[in-house]
Amino acid sequence: MSLDVLYVLDPGLGLHLQDRGRVGWRRFGIPQGGAMDSHAADWANRLLDNPTGTAVLELLLQGAKLAALRPVWIAITGADAGCPLPTWRAIQLQADDVISFPRNLLGVWTYIAVEGGFIDDPLFGSVSASPRVKLGRTFTRGSILRRSERRSFSLPPGVAGRSVPHSEHPDYSRTPVLRVWPGPQWEAFPPSARIAFLNQPWRVSSRCDRTGYRLEGQALGAGGGQILSEPVKVGSVQVPPDGQPIVTLNDGPTMGGYPKLALVDPGDLGRLVQCRGGQQVRFTLAK
Amino acid sequence: MKWVSYGPNALLVEFADRLGDEAFARGRSIVAALERRPPEGLVEFVPGFTSVLLEFDPLVVPDPKARVLEWMAMLKSAISTPAGEGELKTLPVTYDGPDLERVARQGGLTPEMVVALHSGRVYKVYVLGFSPGFPYLGDLDPRLQTPRLATPRTRVPAGSVAIGGEHTGIYPTETAGGWNLIGRTPRVLFDPGRASAGEHGREAFLLRPGDRVQFVPQPGGAMPPAGNPSPAS
Repeated sequence: MSLDVLYVLDPGLGLHLQDRGRVGWRRFGIPQGGAMDSHAADWANRLLDNPTGTAVLELLLQGAKLAALRPVWIAITGADAGCPLPTWRAIQLQADDVISFPRNLLGVWTYIAVEGGFIDDPLFGSVSASPRVKLGRTFTRGSILRRSERRSFSLPPGVAGRSVPHSEHPDYSRTPVLRVWPGPQWEAFPPSARIAFLNQPWRVSSRCDRTGYRLEGQALGAGGGQILSEPVKVGSVQVPPDGQPIVTLNDGPTMGGYPKLALVDPGDLGRLVQCRGGQQVRFTLAK
Repeated sequence: MKWVSYGPNALLVEFADRLGDEAFARGRSIVAALERRPPEGLVEFVPGFTSVLLEFDPLVVPDPKARVLEWMAMLKSAISTPAGEGELKTLPVTYDGPDLERVARQGGLTPEMVVALHSGRVYKVYVLGFSPGFPYLGDLDPRLQTPRLATPRTRVPAGSVAIGGEHTGIYPTETAGGWNLIGRTPRVLFDPGRASAGEHGREAFLLRPGDRVQFVPQPGGAMPPAGNPSPAS
């Protein structure tokens, strides 16, 4: 059973449902999908006692506007897109309340969780949208979002609110230092390329999406050369012939022919994807 | 067989050093073995042409390197057990793609000869990748091998039969793409409507790794020259 909870007044630059994605189907060419920043998505669910991996709304940058169709608890986490409501805490909307995300201030991806969890028809065990391969639903003006009726949320009597501890709330304006592991072709790159990779700050390009993030900096000399296409893990740092790395992400191809210098630690991908074009990132070898 | 660590939770195992019948047979045997009895903690495997990616649940297998000998033994035993021959599937193709002339020119061929060469052999489905159900087929006649477009098209129609480097393939869904388009098939390669839950999800895919494919030229596009018919026409 489901309840209509939110009405899309404006989808903005992108508005899709994401859960933990389609693990186990990549060998059929199905991208993993799932929330780009699982740290922020998980906290949105946790604020409302939803199980980890419950579907949340993922908003790209700015422009989205939604109206509540009935009283409902929600939690907004992730990027700051100018929403006037409190974020990183459980809040209750009343019918006809409007939530708007007029302008991106910090970060890239904003998450909205709803009590009970958003529901939709799953495909390969997930409702996640992977727009590149046309999986999952695209919401437009007039779309209605539904929540599961199986669970509802309320705060215990005498509890004024619930919010995310400050230590768990990342400052997206800072330059993150991302832990990386050697990739399959790490040894094929000359030491100078590995050092250049670890020792310089990389600028996040404006050409970034759910498929991958491009990085710009002093080019890494062609090292691994051309290889026969092989399986690519999400988070791989691939080095094309121009020496400017690409980090493959949730909706990226499952196979690739560029050498893979490194792998960003799965726990640090959330910090990478919240960097806007022009922001810098650094890498350090994981132990 | 060689293996290399691929981050904290994964390994990449190389089971052959070049494309060909042996790599194909080994890949099939490994997939069959992993499907039959997945190692404890395996959450995903992605076979490539000559390698396979194994991903583990960090809560079950905190350090995959510590157990690699056990899995290598399992994979070695798998490749000594040949899997049965894959299913042969025939696909009708109208050879009228926008890049057919160019593929012919760069190989010093006529479009009719391209059709004869392309439809004149049985291909192996090495892997599915790039997009849902997209088959990488080989081995392609060297005369047909054509580099990918410098600038990919933003929209390639579903059903497009294409050549990308040393592979041929078929776009199951409309996506962006950089392969050379030589024809189109009316067959639906990826139909999420055919997928139900669990292992039956694979019903969504017309072609699966290990299958073999034969293209059959259809009237309406270029046809093989008379006197040089392709075996299946």
